[in-house]
Amino acid sequence: MSVVLARVDNRLIHGQVLEAWVPTTKANCIVVANNEVADEDMRKRLMAAAVPRGIRVIICSVEESAKFVNSPGNSALKMLVLFASPEDALCAYHLGMHFAHLNLGNLHRPEGLLQLGCTVTLDNHDISSLSELEARGVEISLQCVPSDRQREWRSIIKAK
Amino acid sequence: MVGLVIATHCGLAGELVKTAEMIIGSMPLVAAVSITREDGPEEIRQRFRRAIDEVGQDGDGVLVLTDMFGGTPSNIGFSFLDQGLVDVLSGVNLPMVLRASQERKGRCLGELALLLRDYGQHSILLASDILDK
Repeated sequence: MSVVLARVDNRLIHGQVLEAWVPTTKANCIVVANNEVADEDMRKRLMAAAVPRGIRVIICSVEESAKFVNSPGNSALKMLVLFASPEDALCAYHLGMHFAHLNLGNLHRPEGLLQLGCTVTLDNHDISSLSELEARGVEISLQCVPSDRQREWRSIIKAK
Repeated sequence: MVGLVIATHCGLAGELVKTAEMIIGSMPLVAAVSITREDGPEEIRQRFRRAIDEVGQDGDGVLVLTDMFGGTPSNIGFSFLDQGLVDVLSGVNLPMVLRASQERKGRCLGELALLLRDYGQHSILLASDILDK
């Protein structure tokens, strides 16, 4: 598999992804791993319509996303995978999508306990999902857009 | 009269309204919604809800003009789509805002949306194209 970026972003496909991350990573396929959107035909169609021509877009459940990413037929694709939460990222990991790095882009939690950066707030459940991914060797860092400095999440938590 | 919500990243929406009002004077039933990196989806949705309710008070529908198809202002605007009552038109520019304000009277939402879509596209011109003709 070739995942050029695995990202937690509760806005899923939006300006930062299309205008900053796609050009930087040179991704040619965006995978939205989200059970809710996968079930909503209208949202799916509008979301897919925002993606420029020449870039493939797959919007499916977390389970199907793991199958898609791991399929040998798709190994030549440069995939940018979007999750709405750390829980979904962990679920995909358990299903065999073994990304080496997880980017935390946007995660807004109104009841959030831990403000990691201006666009990332974590609750206890998020922290336990990320800790589990970390224990499996995934490097986790914060970076909203490519021009922001990449910051390792553990070092921010320790500093709090 | 159809209400207008201008929704964009950062302060562009408010500045577009301010700029249009500088040119043609105050515009009734127009609201600006600005979205920053820090705003959570629920907070943005509430801001949209308030703006749509405010400018939709005539019951003639609301046209949401957004800066970019696929951006968060558009994406959240899509969740308010309601046939004949709320539509979303992306790629807003100043000529569209001016025209929208002037063409609203006596037009239903669908007519206004189509007129502005075409007008917005036709308002983009390259000077040398005109001079070369």
